[in-house]
Amino acid sequence: MSQTIEVRLQNRLSELERVGEVVESFGEAHDLPGKVVQALALCVDEVVTNVISYAYDDQADHQITLRLSLGTGELAAEVEDDGKPFNPLDTPPPDLGRSLEDRPIGGLGVHFLRTLMDGVEYRRDRGKNLLVMKKKLPVKPAQESRECEGGA
Amino acid sequence: MEITEQKKGSVVLLVLTGRLDAGTAGKLEEKLVGLIDAGNRHFVLDFMNLDYISSAGLRVLLMTAKKLKGLNGRIVLASLKDHIREVFDIAGFSAIFPTYDQQDAAVGSFQ
Repeated sequence: MSQTIEVRLQNRLSELERVGEVVESFGEAHDLPGKVVQALALCVDEVVTNVISYAYDDQADHQITLRLSLGTGELAAEVEDDGKPFNPLDTPPPDLGRSLEDRPIGGLGVHFLRTLMDGVEYRRDRGKNLLVMKKKLPVKPAQESRECEGGA
Repeated sequence: MEITEQKKGSVVLLVLTGRLDAGTAGKLEEKLVGLIDAGNRHFVLDFMNLDYISSAGLRVLLMTAKKLKGLNGRIVLASLKDHIREVFDIAGFSAIFPTYDQQDAAVGSFQ
């Protein structure tokens, strides 16, 4: 079974449903915990949404590349686009304590990345934006119980 | 995403099915704006069949709540699945939106 998949997306918001399906089926294929898959699906969605909504000044078709890969104890997702240079990590964090009236609309997508991922990196390389998100996988319960037995 | 609409007394009940993301949030926004413009002020959104929400969906909810507050109206939510509740918690939305486990209780909160 392949540990890496690469999917090409069009810059249309209707592609977000496919993003969700791709992340979920990758999670199922590798028997990943539901919580990890849901967190990754949300963060990839937020990044791709940002790219589709703000990266392009023209009306042309653009290709966005999504790569998912499973390493040792870690899941990684990369989103690559040929839009304007944009580092989502430059966005200041939202003030979550504010009341309804004062609450600004926006900034939540990046907040999800910071909160749900274990590592987020941005690079601009050869005219492309590359955003890499990493999520650590929890230790499998089977291994934990073996350790418990060993220690008992 | 599918939206079904019912009127229960003064309350508009919307049941959402599927995904509330940047591709579908516009449909909900349009629906809510139309209903508010038509004079409705009390809303229950039932998330029983909602599988997914992103910040684009949260944005529509926040805009609607702000708008209704200025009109002495209110929006409450019902039947959030655990993973959707978690997104609300991380976004700090659990403190802003009244939520109910059951649709009936959400509708009843307006009486």
